[in-house]
Amino acid sequence: MAGLELLSEQGFRIDGRKPSELRRIRCKLGVFNQADGSAYIEQGNTKVLAAVYGPHEIRGSRSKILHDRVLVNCQYSMATFSTGERKRRPRGDRKSKEMTMHLQQTFNAAILTNLHPRSQIDIFVEVLQSDGGNYCASVNAATLALIDAGIPMKDYVCACAASYVSDTPIVDINYLEESSGGAELIVATLPKSEQIVFLEQNSRLHEDNLGPVLDLAVKGCKDIHAVLDQAVKDHVAEATAGSSIE
Amino acid sequence: MAEIHLSDAEKTFIIHGVQDNLREDGRGCEDYRHLEIETGLVSNTSGSAKIRLANTEILVGVKAELGEPYPEKPDKGRLEFFVDCSANATPEFEGRGGEELATELSSMLARAYQCPSCLDLRKLSVVEGKQCWIIYVDVLVLEYGGNLFDAASIAVKAALFNTSIPTLTVSHDEGHVEIDLSDDPYDVQRIEVTAAPCIVTLSKLGHSHVVDASSKEEACCLARLMLGVTEKGTVTAMKKEGSGSLDTSSVEDMLQTGRRVGQALNKSLMEVLMSDDKVGKKQHLTGFLR
Amino acid sequence: MEKKSFKARYNEEDRYYDNKGYSSVDYNYTGPFLPDVNKMAAPMICVPGQRLCPDNEKVTAGRGTYSRNGFVYSSLAGYLQTAHSEDGKNIIEVIRDGDENVVPSVDAIVTARITNVSPRFCKCSIIKVGKTDLKDSFRGMIRREDVRATEKDKVEMAKSFRPGDIVMARVISLGDSQSYLLSTAENELGVVIATSEAGVTMVPVSWCKMKCPKTRLEEHRKVAKVQARFIEYSGSGP
Repeated sequence: MAGLELLSEQGFRIDGRKPSELRRIRCKLGVFNQADGSAYIEQGNTKVLAAVYGPHEIRGSRSKILHDRVLVNCQYSMATFSTGERKRRPRGDRKSKEMTMHLQQTFNAAILTNLHPRSQIDIFVEVLQSDGGNYCASVNAATLALIDAGIPMKDYVCACAASYVSDTPIVDINYLEESSGGAELIVATLPKSEQIVFLEQNSRLHEDNLGPVLDLAVKGCKDIHAVLDQAVKDHVAEATAGSSIE
Repeated sequence: MAEIHLSDAEKTFIIHGVQDNLREDGRGCEDYRHLEIETGLVSNTSGSAKIRLANTEILVGVKAELGEPYPEKPDKGRLEFFVDCSANATPEFEGRGGEELATELSSMLARAYQCPSCLDLRKLSVVEGKQCWIIYVDVLVLEYGGNLFDAASIAVKAALFNTSIPTLTVSHDEGHVEIDLSDDPYDVQRIEVTAAPCIVTLSKLGHSHVVDASSKEEACCLARLMLGVTEKGTVTAMKKEGSGSLDTSSVEDMLQTGRRVGQALNKSLMEVLMSDDKVGKKQHLTGFLR
Repeated sequence: MEKKSFKARYNEEDRYYDNKGYSSVDYNYTGPFLPDVNKMAAPMICVPGQRLCPDNEKVTAGRGTYSRNGFVYSSLAGYLQTAHSEDGKNIIEVIRDGDENVVPSVDAIVTARITNVSPRFCKCSIIKVGKTDLKDSFRGMIRREDVRATEKDKVEMAKSFRPGDIVMARVISLGDSQSYLLSTAENELGVVIATSEAGVTMVPVSWCKMKCPKTRLEEHRKVAKVQARFIEYSGSGP
């Protein structure tokens, strides 16, 4: 990636954003009728669909049953045309399996799992177009889908990535910034209580810089939360307006 | 595929209705449901289309890559179909659950497009026997609400229409072939899809048959006939599906209906695509944000 | 002012309540609990994680809420509703539009379809919990000793249930890993809909028999004494 300047002299990033600026977020709850809950989110050019089914009786092998809480079952898949180079398989590769596990961990922390013992909740995430921050968009979409499905949760889960480029922390990194070899810090938080439920760092970052990058990522989560929150409130208000007319 | 269980009374009701050309949602036997189509949604593909036919939602992405042609067809490009049934549609598709249906769908699409008159693959050849464009057509089933095959084929046609492939210049230099990619992003070639087929599924209900069966109608239909029909009414593929049987005379009837409906369907689809194309990139894409 | 009082009440380590927690996002925190939200013009929209009120002796966290660190929070996206319980407490609930997600819980009345009858127990699939239809059925089991309250040792399963019967039952335990344990040991519980061998819906004649209107043959069942006021007609409309 020689010659590629991630941060211009004027302090702007490749796509013209300021270091602490998020990409445009557009989202919608309840895009499908068939699923119990569904949501679609666009963060810049990253587009993700999520569907939630359940809680229902455990499907498949009954040995997975948990007697004191609900089983959160996730599946992360990417459309074969979602990436720059065509993917051979939509799921089942190491990266998607890892992502599935991460999603499972994240949502186990946020869902009130003890309310539905011996049942199962399915969270299916489908990345339609990927431009960096797939995990973050997936988490945000799944949160909206869970809210749409009415699954009791402690709080929203919002995820955001951040990086560190030429002495400046940058938030919500896109594919170019992600693949330039710099540090990448991915955080999922419960934004209201500022609890971190997922944290992952790739590549090298000096310990002294961890603080500012982490703070920026957490701030990013809060900003994303504000957007999602508005979308949920609009959706609830709209749903009721519709039902009261009937 | 969410299983729908109907009682005998409900089935009889639907079948009797169809005999009088009245379907449970008010359509006639040869009417399609409301259909929405949008092209160019996924910006990192060569072409894409999203279709919503009642509750069936399909996203198709087309990617063009350079590769080697098949040895038996050295002067032709390649067209590859891949179908993924997303678990979003129903939890039964989780893991490998949707693979059976996906294979069935992709082989039907491949069969319909196999006819040499419907897509000129020779235009996709770059250097005979060495290099050609491989067009990967990836179909993603997002929601299942009946009549998957028709919807998928319409979406595929729209996505292929939307596809633009960069123009290549080939220069021969002492037995050495050089391929140059045009720098101009607008210097592209389109794929001619006017003659491409759409699949029309005819479901036999009682003594009559209907097009675009809803999931309820699919539940009480025993035999289906799937036809790949082009704009001129040529039937490029035919497949009978389902546990029931058909006699020759009803196959003939269905073939006639299929051709009639298929021609009209292709015509209106091309009209919509053409008018959309004129508006061009200026139009506001709503995608899933409806 | 309120911030201060909270700070005094909760220790400093709990980062949630320091000043920072209030600043950046709108928490819709409305101070100590609103006296009666139902009287407000528009009901308040709640979202998961939203703090509703302090959790003290005067309030109970109802459906759609949970309590943590001395506060009641919303766990759903919906509307705030309060009610007064018998012991003078305020019950705080968050109500959602549309269908609710339910799973059978202990003591709930469920509707189930019998699938399999054996001499010691019968298996069934639970299709309804309370008044809510389930999208997916759950497996249930009625053991011989749970069919009726009296003369338990004389119960014959084949004379109590047949496959296809619709029964009302109470969940007595979450059972083993296979299925929920159900009981019909109450007058109001037992078979409510059954078809005779001739394929006709039967009418109850006593607590243990039902009669086929077509063949006039009587069949044995553990019949529920359905209370008229609980009968609910649904489907085809008026």
